[in-house]
Amino acid sequence: MRTIIATILILGTLAISAGCSREEKSEALTIQFWHLNPVGSPGFSQMRGIINAFNERQEAYFVRGTGFSFWDYWDKLSVAISSRTAPDVGYRTIDDVVARASNGVLHNISELMRNDTSQNNIDLGEFRESQLEFATWQGDLWAMPFSATTRVLYYNLDMFSEVGLTEADVPRTWSELHRVAKMFDRVEGNTITRLGFDPTYGNTHYHGWLWQTGLDFFDDELNPTLDTQGHLDVLEWIIGFNSDFSRGQLTAFGEASEMLGINVFASERVAMIVDTDGLYQTLKQADAQITYGVAPIPVPDEDGIRVSWGSGFSLEMFDNGAGDEFRRTGAWELFKYLLEHDAQIALADANGWIMGHRSAMMEYAGGDPILQAILEEIDYAVDKVFVPYAPSWHGADWFPYYTEALDGTLTPSGALAAARAHLLQKRANWEATR
Amino acid sequence: MKKRAQTLSRMKRQENLIGYLFASPWITGLILLGAFPFLASFYISFTNYNMLSFPRFIGLTNYRILLSSDTIFWRSLGNTFYHVSIAIPLGIVLGVGLALLLNNKVYGMSVYRTMFYLPNVVSIVAMALMWLWLFQPSFGLINEVLSPVYRLLDIEPLRWHQDARLAKFSLILMGLWAVGGPMVIYLAQMQDIPNALYESAEIDGASWVRKTVSITLPLMTPSIFFNFIMGLIGGFQVFTIAYIMTSGGPGRATYYYAYYLFDTMISDQNMGMASAMAWILLVLVLIVTMIALRLNRYVVYLGEES
Repeated sequence: MRTIIATILILGTLAISAGCSREEKSEALTIQFWHLNPVGSPGFSQMRGIINAFNERQEAYFVRGTGFSFWDYWDKLSVAISSRTAPDVGYRTIDDVVARASNGVLHNISELMRNDTSQNNIDLGEFRESQLEFATWQGDLWAMPFSATTRVLYYNLDMFSEVGLTEADVPRTWSELHRVAKMFDRVEGNTITRLGFDPTYGNTHYHGWLWQTGLDFFDDELNPTLDTQGHLDVLEWIIGFNSDFSRGQLTAFGEASEMLGINVFASERVAMIVDTDGLYQTLKQADAQITYGVAPIPVPDEDGIRVSWGSGFSLEMFDNGAGDEFRRTGAWELFKYLLEHDAQIALADANGWIMGHRSAMMEYAGGDPILQAILEEIDYAVDKVFVPYAPSWHGADWFPYYTEALDGTLTPSGALAAARAHLLQKRANWEATR
Repeated sequence: MKKRAQTLSRMKRQENLIGYLFASPWITGLILLGAFPFLASFYISFTNYNMLSFPRFIGLTNYRILLSSDTIFWRSLGNTFYHVSIAIPLGIVLGVGLALLLNNKVYGMSVYRTMFYLPNVVSIVAMALMWLWLFQPSFGLINEVLSPVYRLLDIEPLRWHQDARLAKFSLILMGLWAVGGPMVIYLAQMQDIPNALYESAEIDGASWVRKTVSITLPLMTPSIFFNFIMGLIGGFQVFTIAYIMTSGGPGRATYYYAYYLFDTMISDQNMGMASAMAWILLVLVLIVTMIALRLNRYVVYLGEES
């Protein structure tokens, strides 16, 4: 009996050990690639297929992909970069490439491109100049645009026809937006039940509206501006857009939808909303039964600029200081592969992202009018500037003052002045530690 | 005799060695995972360190900036003191009150005790999400219950965590939901009080209030003090509820010290400054705890002196 049990245990152990063995080529160098498709996520199988395709087309390297959830990925990568154990290839946000390039944790992409005589070198013409600029430091590229995001105006055509409007009535300017939006507002007792539009809902930001007027948060020397009449006008326009409701009513209405797990646009609680291409993915996945379209975000009536905040991921090759030329070459081959036309289409499909490769995305959009309209808008997208003394200037630094202005606990001019003073103090403190 | 002493000494050394050997996994863990980061953070607090390049020594600059030219530092500290100074006394009052209530011989008491303790086994994230529902101004249960009051007084429904004036207090109220933890400790000590004391008091004609004030509460002071100290230490580190429920807002109404420390490290990528903040917090907690321990002898009953 003992012999039988021992035999079963040994065989079981061997079987488990065999199952744990990696499908690595014995002589291939392992290249580490971190991505955002962990086991169990919808895009995991597709991402594994993309990696396997690379492993099968060459013998020298074996790519081991590791997927993390979006919420874990950034901190894990930051710590890995800090401890010089970063993967060979991974994603980061494109707006702060400069911070990593200037600290010597990235490989120089321009140099790799110059030394590459192969047929499959990166075609920079396929990527947007506005994104490439963010990946450039001291004249060289240190990353490549990987994905691209923009913000557009989503409008509900069912609700439009209900009030006698058509697609031709989709607002193009701020005053048109206000006029059209007010046709949809509904209140029961003290509670908003439907809203045309609110400039604080969806994925909108003060700096996005500001850019449309030709103004910015910082000047060329990265000093905070915020002290002009133009800055005040934009903030007052946001606050006053739905002045017939209290901020309490507006916040409660917006938060109620969020908490109930229903999208405020998909549930026909708002007729128009500014959001990213992510909302389109959400609506598609949820099979939303509404007729809708997308358009450029309305601009100020006079001298309005067609622009939106277009953040995106960059693809980066991390330099852990090992000086391993063979590893660098392998990582470079993977890097190029991930930026190829076909791989970019496969990645778009796996993640639901719009990728950086323009012609690949045109092909991917095919006959989808909404995706085509979003792609067109990406050409007008600009990323936010990286401010070394306040990397999260649009979030942790500005947002508290913005909400105080919205809530009325600070006047708009008071909020702008306080935010400017805070950023100036932060700059002075940052410089004191240099 | 001398040989016997040598043998004993060798045996003792061997025994010590074996002891250290058994304790070595824990000692290694303590040094690598506890002492090293502890000391490293102390060094990093004197450096400019962005987690990308090597830390650069800048002396006391981080401390000087925080204490003299960082308004958010003082604001977040003020918010934290507000939280500590209200949440802890309220928690003690409610905890003791509940313990007094549950220290009765009523049918099904163990069920009640379990129910009051249950919130302590709920994840703080789940708890925060549930309270977001309760506080929701439009359809939250709290405002539904209070709606007749609002109508009577002809006032707008309270916005709880969304209102800068109420946000801190809302989070404190929410924290009271977990008062069942300290309550169990109070209850345990209450049941340790000798019955003879109550019987003597009853013979003297003492009422329930008199017995509570003169017997129960004085004899419970060690557990009250224990919960007070634990509350102080935890209160100064309040973070999660604000992170989930209010994101530090509205404005910076619930932007607590630990939240600012977190943002300094994650958003500003300023590990040097964040480490300095951590050490300032440690010193603050130590000072407050030491003061509390000094008061110990005046307010805590430590038994009859022989």
